[in-house]
Amino acid sequence: MTRLARVGLWRGVTVVAGRELGNYFDSKIAYVYTIAFVVMANSIFMNEFFLTGTVDMTGFFDLMPLLLPVFLPAVTMRLWAEERKQRTIEMLLTMPIRPIQAVIGKYVAAMLLYTLFLVGSLPIVIMLAVLGEPDLGLITGGYLGLIGFGAMFLALGMFLSSLSSDQIVAFISTTVVGFLFVLSGNDRVVAVIDGLFPALSLGTRLYEAFSVMPHYDAFVRGVVGLPAVIYFCGLSALFLWINAMVLERHRA
Amino acid sequence: MIVVENVTKRYGSFTAVDDVSFRIGAGEIVGFLGPNGAGKSTVLKMLCTWLRPTSGKITVDGHDVVTDALAVRRSLGYLTEHNALYETMRVTAFINFVGKLRGLSGKLLDQRREWVVEQCTIAEVMHKQVQECSKGYRQRIGVAAALIHDPRVILLDEPTHGLDPIQVVAFRDFIRGLSRDRAILFSSHNLSEVATISERLLVINRGQLLADASLEDLNLKAADIGQTLEETVLDIVRGQGVST
Repeated sequence: MTRLARVGLWRGVTVVAGRELGNYFDSKIAYVYTIAFVVMANSIFMNEFFLTGTVDMTGFFDLMPLLLPVFLPAVTMRLWAEERKQRTIEMLLTMPIRPIQAVIGKYVAAMLLYTLFLVGSLPIVIMLAVLGEPDLGLITGGYLGLIGFGAMFLALGMFLSSLSSDQIVAFISTTVVGFLFVLSGNDRVVAVIDGLFPALSLGTRLYEAFSVMPHYDAFVRGVVGLPAVIYFCGLSALFLWINAMVLERHRA
Repeated sequence: MIVVENVTKRYGSFTAVDDVSFRIGAGEIVGFLGPNGAGKSTVLKMLCTWLRPTSGKITVDGHDVVTDALAVRRSLGYLTEHNALYETMRVTAFINFVGKLRGLSGKLLDQRREWVVEQCTIAEVMHKQVQECSKGYRQRIGVAAALIHDPRVILLDEPTHGLDPIQVVAFRDFIRGLSRDRAILFSSHNLSEVATISERLLVINRGQLLADASLEDLNLKAADIGQTLEETVLDIVRGQGVST
């Protein structure tokens, strides 16, 4: 690939990302979602903080996997479903860009908005630093886990949004699949599924091979291991690639 | 510049376009005429790489639409059937967005934007959101976006839809001014509009190309058999002969 071709590839991504990010703010989605996320995230933390009285964010990081499968689909549900419904997808994909450039552009915009959500929770860290001596390594690990978790869920949500022209369908399907990823890592759910299929140990197998929780928990415990990095990066890349394939198939 | 050879498009057992062939050279303005559902938009969608032909071969500006789709997209400007635009974007931002995706930047983008804004007379609405614009303005915004990169091949699907008669005449003059070294294909189901703008006519119905003739020839044939141009074209669409 020539240098010029590489520049062109990146330019397509940044132009699409810029439009999507602008749309989040023009349509006020960015403001509403960020405020809602910051209010809920801070409420979750303060509740835990006053109950335990400890200077850490473990309770916050433990509850986020239950909040994000509802929040992140709201960010991704419109990304392709609206393009299909408004029929702008034809205009976008007959521009001189590859579908993967459009996919990554939209993904970058969604990740930047999600990063803004997370930045909104940073006052908690500042407050803890003022009140005591929190373990900043653990907190950094927790935030890295949230970035990996969000990266994967946003890619999943975008992919599912590309399958429908209805935002509600995209939202519900992403939420359901997202909770499957989360709940398959819950001890009680694992025990119940294992009990239903004792010979297969299906619950344990799902926990080990499918669930997001062991990988996310590793980050929250401060262990940034290669399997977790591969899990988050691999699944994110896989969903983005399938998304581009879905768009290509649309032309057939 | 546009070469369509024995192109067929099928959806399952339904044949939307059936063995269509035609060529359009530089400097030609060709009207694509047919009733709703005739296959006009399907042909245009294949020309712009949105759909792939089931069989046959299409080249645009020397590039194959299947194997060299990016080069095809670079060389053409396309107004989609429903002229779908990003509703919440300001018109300026929308034109800039399309220009940047087309590879324009800096002064060149500014110059091209000023040119299309003037030619399409959309200066009044540049600060508005697309959703606040009237149908006529939306149509002109779509044409401006299709022309921002000065394409050599221009495909316009129902470009006069939503324009009043005065705007149609202005559009005709504008398109004629563009045609010198460009190939222009535009679709319509309105014969009088096509006859006003184009020099050559492709008539399609039920996926089959029924006529490929200059307007002059069609007018002569109509006069020969004592019909109006409209009656002659209707006979072609109904499959009642009239060799072209």
